[in-house]
Amino acid sequence: MPFNDHYVIIGNGPAGNHAAATLREKDKDAKITIISDECVPFYYKPKLTEFISGTLKKEKLMVNTLESYEEKDIRIRLGQTVEKIDPDTKSIFLKHMEKMDYTKLIIASGGRQRVLPSMTSFEEHLKFVTSYSDVMEYKEQIKKAKDFFIIGGDLVGFRFLRMLRTIGKNVSIMIYPNAFWPYNLTDEMLDKITKRLSKYTPDVIVKDDISSIESHKNGTYQVATSKGLEKKVDMVFSFNGLMPNIDFAKGTGIDIDHGILVDEYLKSNIDSIYACGSCAQIYNPTIKNYTVSIGWPNAVTQGKVAALNVLGDQKIIKSVGRKYFDMEGAMIKTTWWEDIDDES
Amino acid sequence: MKKNGLYSKEEKLFQDKNKMYSTQSVKQIVYSTDVRDFGQVAKSIPCQEACPAKTNIPGYIRCVYEKRYGRAYEVNRSANILPGVLGRICSRPCESACRHGEPDNGQSVGICHLKRSCADLKPSSHRIIEGLYAPTDKTVAVIGSGPAGLAAAHDLASLGHKVVIYESTDKPGGMLMWGIPEFRLPRDLLMIEIQNILRLGIELKTNTAIGRDITLDQLKKEVDAVVVATGCVSPRMLGVDGEGLENVHNGLEFMMAVNAGQTPYVGDKVVVIGAGFTAVDCARSAIRIGGKDVSLNIRKTIEYMRIDDTEKHEAQFEGIHTHSLVQPSKIIGDGKKVTGVEFQRTRLEEIDTPPFRMSVPIENSEFMVPADSVIAALGQSSNIAAVSKKLGNLKKEGHKTGIKNVFAAGDFVTGSSDVISAIAGGRKCARHIDELLVGEKRKQIVVRCENHATTDRPRSYDFINKVEMNTIAMKKRLSKSTHEVETGYKEKQAREESKRCYLCNLKYEIDPLTCIYCSACIDVAPKDCIKMIKNVPVNSDGTYGEYEETGQWNQVLSIAIDPANCIRCGQCLSVCPMDCISVTKTELIEIDS
Ligand SMILES: Cc1cc2nc3c(=O)[nH]c(=O)nc-3n(C[C@H](O)[C@H](O)[C@H](O)COP(=O)(O)OP(=O)(O)OC[C@H]3O[C@@H](n4cnc5c(N)ncnc54)[C@H](O)[C@@H]3O)c2cc1C
Ligand SMILES: Cc1cc2nc3c(=O)[nH]c(=O)nc-3n(C[C@H](O)[C@H](O)[C@H](O)COP(=O)(O)OP(=O)(O)OC[C@H]3O[C@@H](n4cnc5c(N)ncnc54)[C@H](O)[C@@H]3O)c2cc1C
Ligand code: SF4
Ligand code: SF4
Repeated sequence: MPFNDHYVIIGNGPAGNHAAATLREKDKDAKITIISDECVPFYYKPKLTEFISGTLKKEKLMVNTLESYEEKDIRIRLGQTVEKIDPDTKSIFLKHMEKMDYTKLIIASGGRQRVLPSMTSFEEHLKFVTSYSDVMEYKEQIKKAKDFFIIGGDLVGFRFLRMLRTIGKNVSIMIYPNAFWPYNLTDEMLDKITKRLSKYTPDVIVKDDISSIESHKNGTYQVATSKGLEKKVDMVFSFNGLMPNIDFAKGTGIDIDHGILVDEYLKSNIDSIYACGSCAQIYNPTIKNYTVSIGWPNAVTQGKVAALNVLGDQKIIKSVGRKYFDMEGAMIKTTWWEDIDDES
Repeated sequence: MKKNGLYSKEEKLFQDKNKMYSTQSVKQIVYSTDVRDFGQVAKSIPCQEACPAKTNIPGYIRCVYEKRYGRAYEVNRSANILPGVLGRICSRPCESACRHGEPDNGQSVGICHLKRSCADLKPSSHRIIEGLYAPTDKTVAVIGSGPAGLAAAHDLASLGHKVVIYESTDKPGGMLMWGIPEFRLPRDLLMIEIQNILRLGIELKTNTAIGRDITLDQLKKEVDAVVVATGCVSPRMLGVDGEGLENVHNGLEFMMAVNAGQTPYVGDKVVVIGAGFTAVDCARSAIRIGGKDVSLNIRKTIEYMRIDDTEKHEAQFEGIHTHSLVQPSKIIGDGKKVTGVEFQRTRLEEIDTPPFRMSVPIENSEFMVPADSVIAALGQSSNIAAVSKKLGNLKKEGHKTGIKNVFAAGDFVTGSSDVISAIAGGRKCARHIDELLVGEKRKQIVVRCENHATTDRPRSYDFINKVEMNTIAMKKRLSKSTHEVETGYKEKQAREESKRCYLCNLKYEIDPLTCIYCSACIDVAPKDCIKMIKNVPVNSDGTYGEYEETGQWNQVLSIAIDPANCIRCGQCLSVCPMDCISVTKTELIEIDS
């Protein structure tokens, strides 16, 4: 039997899917496998808020159907988590203890919620909107709940707030000036945002901090702030941006900082391993620094470039950075994300 | 007696000269020096194996659960002599190794917080236990009163030797006194635990430096042996232009000044350079004495920082930003004072032998960061010549030096490490000296095996979330650099956390002679813990290696419990129809040889 390459892709988001499609386009014979710990095919993360409110049906949320993977002869393994990578034997280990060998590996594991150090003591009471499964877990609860508290306030957070208001919920929002904005908000910016948000909800809290969140037996929460404000709410959501989801790569010999460190060709320090999308921290030769870029369009482009380079090309990922912002202390340059259109 | 596991080999054990049965107790106890038992303990109890002083962690956590706090303190003290101190500032290698922190098992047990609880919750009338030997008429001089010196002095004194400690500064404790800030380690507590050591009749001579006030040669003449434990006190320099500018501090000196109650100038913007304990303590101290914008700047990535996760978290929490992959190329000033730092970006590169990641500067990547002060905390190295120019040829094993009867321990030998390694080193050094002075090994480590009914931990304990440490409010933290940040567990919290420990010192074993291979245990097992094995290889050191598993019945040699995966839940024990699973408590203990 001829030996075919096995390209394994960790992550079923835009980066992973565009990488897989490009690989298939250029290499008809290779075995291609996408692994995802989520149980749904490729979907539009940016549309999750509309999906929660009910204005978007599940079919419209999906980018791919299961059949479309089959058509491209791309194997998709859903609900399976990669736990460890062994670059020496070129294999990955899945949580259910299966070992899978690869010829080349593309890490496209995306981002996960960023929890600020000050939030760890009440983290268990916080809810996040980062994935389809998060949303499925809370969708009904959100419908029934009346009073919401939002901490942080990144772009998704504000979109979520507006959505909640359109379906008639009461929302309090406490803005954290460092909630993954392009900049740490200055007082002037904070004023502007407060004014804008006040159009949607009267309850915008600034320059305060959460001192505690306690849960009551009836499922509600008591939120207390440092300045003595007390609120009883049904659900507390945190929106403080995303950070690379790379725990499984720690201690495997792959260089990581905030994300997987890759060169301008999206290759990691290990020859057969590439990374793209929100999980990658990419070297930018122009500014001579590594940057993480969260955002759908970036993930698409990077997925394609990673695939081409896996196949032997030497494509340099275009410097997409336009703005600086500080993520967990690192100066990270990125394009901010964009409103996305449906993929054709 | 049940014929199973350990006990099925009973007759053999009696004949085995490496194992002795205790006749003192009706309990079935075996003291073993069999290398296979040491291997088993190392594999079974990862926390203890990771602890340089080999503290009996499940042992003391169990005592906390039983509310025997005094006993818990003594279990600790017998291994690490400063439980209250270590319960606050230990670098916690045990927690990174704890089985509870392995994938799918949740978070590691708060071993260090529980250690502190032993010290906090023990009764005020607690009685310290010391096993004192008769005086030997020998005298040992210990140079340096840091943790290594104190540990060596304590063990030598309890072994009956007269001990004199020489300390160059005016207070004992070494880096515990001069390095670690008070907001992490209150000095009254430190002094109590040091006094408990000195109470054994140890003489402490402060303000006396060897090599300055007394020469090593002079000292050697007066005593039978010498321990050099002078630590690492020579700061490493940045080696870049501008290092001599005003308001460029060196990390250790900065900490010593803060710990002496002074407030060195930091201004608003403080740039700290370094990735270890000292750097983080400097940053956290700077923010307490007025720094507004304090950053930690590291050459590699956060993963390679030589501090534990709590320290990283606390620094972030207090608002300190970490900039990774940068290194200073120049310190900039107005001719007199510092005004900024020029950094270069770096990338990681691999060195093959030994395998190591190093940072390499990226050419033309310089950028400037404004600064009112710079603290360079690149670590310290030992200053051998300051003690004696003749000193050299230091050996980690045996703690010997090139000079007869002069031994060395702690950071002085190993380079900057941590308190628990220094203590372990000091104690080992004391053992070697004792052997030299009395001509025989008087202590021996053995594995104590005791039959144990079962675990009495309900399975629900495995799902308890880690109890967070209580801390004081941010405002109070930052208002004074001596306010202790962590306030310890309340008694209820300590008990809750103690429930989480799997008690890995319990060894679950299947007796292959009784087992009928029904696989009921495999069906209920929560982990991949019970294995059908075809062979157990023996390592070159005589310990057992990894089990070789098989899926084919005709190859099965035995069903065995893998001590490295077992979470001691007891499920298998409760379903076994043949009662062929035994539980043995295995502990490393030190006894008279
Ligand atoms: C609610 C929300 C709204 C957003 N709105 C916008 C927007 O309007 N515009 C915009 O540009 N961007 C938006 N984004 C950001 C955008 O969705 C992401 O930047 C983009 O999805 C990143 O793509 P990716 O392929 O790198 O990773 P992801 O889309 O995050 O996909 C990563 C995949 O990897 C899987 N995975 C992770 N770890 C493992 C593992 N160990 N084993 C197996 N699978 C694993 C994950 O489950 C996931 O399926 C939004 C994000 C969110 C959460
Ligand atoms: C700022 C800082 C923070 C740290 N934080 C931690 C932490 O949180 N956890 C941790 O585990 N480790 C920490 N460490 C490391 C730890 O303190 C050391 O590894 C440990 O103290 C080493 O012990 P030692 O006894 O070998 O040496 P030291 O503690 O350095 O003690 C040496 C002693 O010898 C004395 N001495 C030196 N020369 C002479 C001489 N010629 N004559 C007489 N006496 C002399 C010194 O004054 C000193 O008292 C920290 C270190 C620093 C600097
Ligand atoms: S569970 Fe307990 S005994 Fe086991 S490794 Fe962790 S602390 Fe040690
Ligand atoms: S006690 Fe038995 S069932 Fe429980 S983890 Fe250990 S071997 Fe497995």
